[in-house]
Amino acid sequence: MRVLLTRKFRAQFLLPAGLLTVAAMASLAVFFPGGGAGASGHADASQVSTNAKQVLKACGSVNTKGVTPVPNSGNPFTSTNLICHGGNLLSYGNDSITYANPPASYIAAGRALFAQSCSSCHGNTANGTMTVGGKVEPTIGPNLQGVGAATVDFWVSSGRMPATDVKAVEAERRPSRLTPKQALELAAWVNSLDPAAPAVPFPHLKGANQSVGASLFSLNCAACHTITGAGDALAYNTNAPSLQNRQITPQQVVEAIRTGPANMPRFSGNLSDAQVRDITSYVTGRLQHPTNPGGFGLGGVGPVAEGFVALLIGVGGLALICFWIGERS
Amino acid sequence: MSDADHQPSRTRVPMPIAALSDPHMSDAARHPKRVENIIALILVVAMIFFGLAGAAYWQNWNAWTFGGALGGGLFALGFGLTAWGKYLMPQGPFVEERHVLASTPDERNAMSAALVERSAVVVRRRKVLGGLFAAGAGIFGIVAAFPLIRSLGPLPKDELDVNQWTAGSVLVDSNGRPVRRDTLVIGGIMTVYPRNQMRMEDGQVTFTDQGLATDQTVLIRLSHEPFTTMPGRETWTPDGYVAYSKVCTHLGCPVGLYEQELEVLVCPCHQSMFNVRNGAVPQFGPAPRPLPQLPLGYNDQGYLIATATYDQPLGPGFFERTT
Amino acid sequence: MTDSATRTKRSTKQAMGPYGQVSKVVDELDERFGVAKGGRIFLDKIFPDHWSFMLGEIALYSFVVLIATGIFLALFFVPSASQVIYHGAYAPLRGQRVSEAYQSTVNISFSVRGGLLIRQMHHWAADIFVGSIIVHMARIFFTGAFRKPRELNWTIGIFMLVLAVLEGFIGYSLPDDLISGTGLRIGYSIAESQPFIGSYMVSFLWGGQFPGDGSIIPRFFIIHVLIIPLVLLGLITVHLALLVRQKHTQFASEGRTEDNVVGSPMFPTFMAKTTGFLFMVTGVTALLGAFAQINPIWQFGSYEPSKISYAVQPDWYMGMLDGALRIMPSWEFAGFGHTVPLEVFLPSVLFPTLLITLWLLYPGLERRITGDHAMHNLLDRPRDRPKRTAAGVAMFTFMFTLFAASSTDVLANFFHVSLNATLWFFRIAIFVVPAIAAWVTYELCREMQGVHGIGKRKRAVIVRRSEQGEYSTVPSAPRPDDEHVEIDPEPVPVRIDIEPLGNGDGRQAEPSPTGMRQVTR
Repeated sequence: MRVLLTRKFRAQFLLPAGLLTVAAMASLAVFFPGGGAGASGHADASQVSTNAKQVLKACGSVNTKGVTPVPNSGNPFTSTNLICHGGNLLSYGNDSITYANPPASYIAAGRALFAQSCSSCHGNTANGTMTVGGKVEPTIGPNLQGVGAATVDFWVSSGRMPATDVKAVEAERRPSRLTPKQALELAAWVNSLDPAAPAVPFPHLKGANQSVGASLFSLNCAACHTITGAGDALAYNTNAPSLQNRQITPQQVVEAIRTGPANMPRFSGNLSDAQVRDITSYVTGRLQHPTNPGGFGLGGVGPVAEGFVALLIGVGGLALICFWIGERS
Repeated sequence: MSDADHQPSRTRVPMPIAALSDPHMSDAARHPKRVENIIALILVVAMIFFGLAGAAYWQNWNAWTFGGALGGGLFALGFGLTAWGKYLMPQGPFVEERHVLASTPDERNAMSAALVERSAVVVRRRKVLGGLFAAGAGIFGIVAAFPLIRSLGPLPKDELDVNQWTAGSVLVDSNGRPVRRDTLVIGGIMTVYPRNQMRMEDGQVTFTDQGLATDQTVLIRLSHEPFTTMPGRETWTPDGYVAYSKVCTHLGCPVGLYEQELEVLVCPCHQSMFNVRNGAVPQFGPAPRPLPQLPLGYNDQGYLIATATYDQPLGPGFFERTT
Repeated sequence: MTDSATRTKRSTKQAMGPYGQVSKVVDELDERFGVAKGGRIFLDKIFPDHWSFMLGEIALYSFVVLIATGIFLALFFVPSASQVIYHGAYAPLRGQRVSEAYQSTVNISFSVRGGLLIRQMHHWAADIFVGSIIVHMARIFFTGAFRKPRELNWTIGIFMLVLAVLEGFIGYSLPDDLISGTGLRIGYSIAESQPFIGSYMVSFLWGGQFPGDGSIIPRFFIIHVLIIPLVLLGLITVHLALLVRQKHTQFASEGRTEDNVVGSPMFPTFMAKTTGFLFMVTGVTALLGAFAQINPIWQFGSYEPSKISYAVQPDWYMGMLDGALRIMPSWEFAGFGHTVPLEVFLPSVLFPTLLITLWLLYPGLERRITGDHAMHNLLDRPRDRPKRTAAGVAMFTFMFTLFAASSTDVLANFFHVSLNATLWFFRIAIFVVPAIAAWVTYELCREMQGVHGIGKRKRAVIVRRSEQGEYSTVPSAPRPDDEHVEIDPEPVPVRIDIEPLGNGDGRQAEPSPTGMRQVTR
């Protein structure tokens, strides 16, 4: 009477089952952002420490724009390990984070690179103006003088700059068109125009306390990035990017916290370097590498994805089984 | 098929023979033997899965193995049994007559009569008793319900109207550190609580429940100079610091989402948007009222303090809230 | 075994009659409880075979799974809001202050063997439970199975849906994690928004102003594990008892009338199928619990009133309410020394109350509108009742639009559109989409009514070109499976006679060998 592989069976059961499976897979795929193993931020740390060894221990005046004299908050004055050379601040920081400016030898290359890739939007001297026909006019991009090396390094190394779409509300993260070294060269040149803190941070994640990091993350970061770091749409077409992206380096996390790129608030005196390091360790250690002991993580977007799975695979799948068990006329 | 074919014989016949002789009791499948083999295979698979689940549990392998084996086994067991029912059991179709549930008119009348006449007799003769009993039961109901509801919690007094911020309350962060002029740079935000709600527990700084739930406040730095959020609040923003209640006026979620370029606070729950430069007036979403603003100042030690308490109840609306 | 022993055994067996031990047990039971007649009728009960009649079973069996897994969880869960320092297995929480409820839930997930699987099964089963109730309800609605005499079962079904949703929300709140705690905060504000009673209600229930004196967790616990399950169990019993008493509905077709039920008998066919299905439902839940992570509370952390995560959504069945709250304009009434937060009260208190009332009243409303007071045991095809079908589709699209509106932020993020625009889209769509859906459904039903043989497979047409270059079409020969659709359905020749068999002298009665005497009509 009924054999499993009749045409009717195929049409009425296998086809819908197949379609449902494909739909379920597609819906699952939506919740799995592709994230491969990314570049590590630790690579440059050794390089900087060797740079640090080469410098002299004499400091001149330092521009204090954008710094706050609260201890251990990205601030050179209250930092231990202050290293200067010829009046130029080279590195400072503490056991949690070392902030270092790129070496002066990078400045020349940075100038050439800036003229080629950045000056059309930020002006020839990165001051946000351009002289057109004898008139000084503001450029599309903002003034970059006095923003500090960390800011420049963050925007360039995360691929947001040079911008691909200058009219976009926000520049989105993409694979960087410049190498990490070129990013530092640009930072070196821009910072040399009007030296400021914070310098490029190198977090020492070894002693980090992820529990403190998790707690601070839920108080300070989860309101935008969500508690699982999945990111989401914010007001007026802005976005909180996903932190689950494994391309994001610990260095970039610290840079973002300390410089407040675009609409992100800037955390200074209210988060110590140790706390920033703890948060960073939690982000790059846990959010980017969730253990997910319960199975597929469903993208960490919570009950919306769970509801889809429950209705589509749970109720839908069971209804299909009903469809098989019962009569269909 | 004639009647005679289906009339069971009067003698007792062993079940299998009778079942096979009747077309409606026969297997549904065209190749019963083949189906039987497949089902047997499925049931064996179920057994293997259950064995695996047992091993996974015993050896404490990861949850995927245990759950997968258990689920696979259960599914296979159920699938086998269902397939058995579907392909190898009598399929009929059989018919069952539906019997009318309703009684005869006479029976209904009898019931109605019993109800009406007997109660009429009772009520007519003993009206007072009936009334007294109903009153007694009613009073019991009210008296019994009263403690059940009333004992659950305290009567609301003015808790919804008040908060623990007072003139001179020092603003402290979640670690209990007071806030100074230099703590935030422009574009910074932090959550602050009144220091009078701070306490130490298990060697950690924490706050009272009300301190965390009601008094939570966001402190934002917008500029280096004071600015005016609303007329009459000119002195509330020293050094460009501004503080608003973190409790959303819509449903009480913590309004912790700040976008520094837009200068807008967003409630993460239902996306109400508050413009922080202009007195946190809602500019989008379901929130009905601005976030209440906390007037700020400095104390002798240079710590940021509240110069007065909030001028209105915090959080969502409620009936007793005077306007 | 000796020869005589064999003989004795055989003779004992013969003495017991052809049905052996079973008939002895039946005898013993029947003498005491009189089970034989009713039991026979029960074994003969006929269940319609149409697949859509099994949707309710998904709900029933996921409830069984919920009870079973819930008992396990209750052995480990600590319903207490007291704060402790976490020292358990999950490193990123160590040293944090958490509530005992949260700590015990994390411990179930990490330290109790099999605990995470059971916890996830419980949560998945809850999501499936509510979902299958709604799907089952849709079948009842669109086929008109709620009509007289089954209005009471429809009503019971609605109450069970409401209870299931409430039970789900309360259970979701118990772990006291950041996401559910936020949901509870919202629940507090919703209750608080009611005029006159609001602030009293929250103060009594929470034991004071939010977050209260910690009594909400133990109170929710007893409601979740005892009160609502008990009520649900009672309602399910009545639901099924009414179903047995009134018998199933069925679709009209040859041999299927208002006065009979056609299908498979309870024993053995239906019993095998349905028991197998119970195992399959449990199996699917276990597979989901094993491979799809749900509600990973260890990532969320313990609830603290000043912490918040973006993109917080309730479980899907509460999404409707959340969506209504999101798209509601900010109308707050203030005057006469009082405040009524209409932007909360209307969408989250009044609106669901009215909606549920409408569902409860629907069978009566339809009877009044159509003037149809007759008994109905045969089901309608949805297309034959275009107005009801259109109304139902409108209601479902309405609910779905609200559900979608609860994830405006996720949708805006996914489609890269402005959050503000998304919200405005839903404010308009909530009125437009159901109206369009209803109109399309109505027209579709009307169209389908007029078409002969709709639902049957189209037969291919062969186009031929003659030698002169003219084209002509001829229908192709029916394929083997086409016949199945096109021949008359099999006649339904037999019925089960459940009149008492036998002539009064006990064992010497004339039992049908099959237990069913089949009579050709």
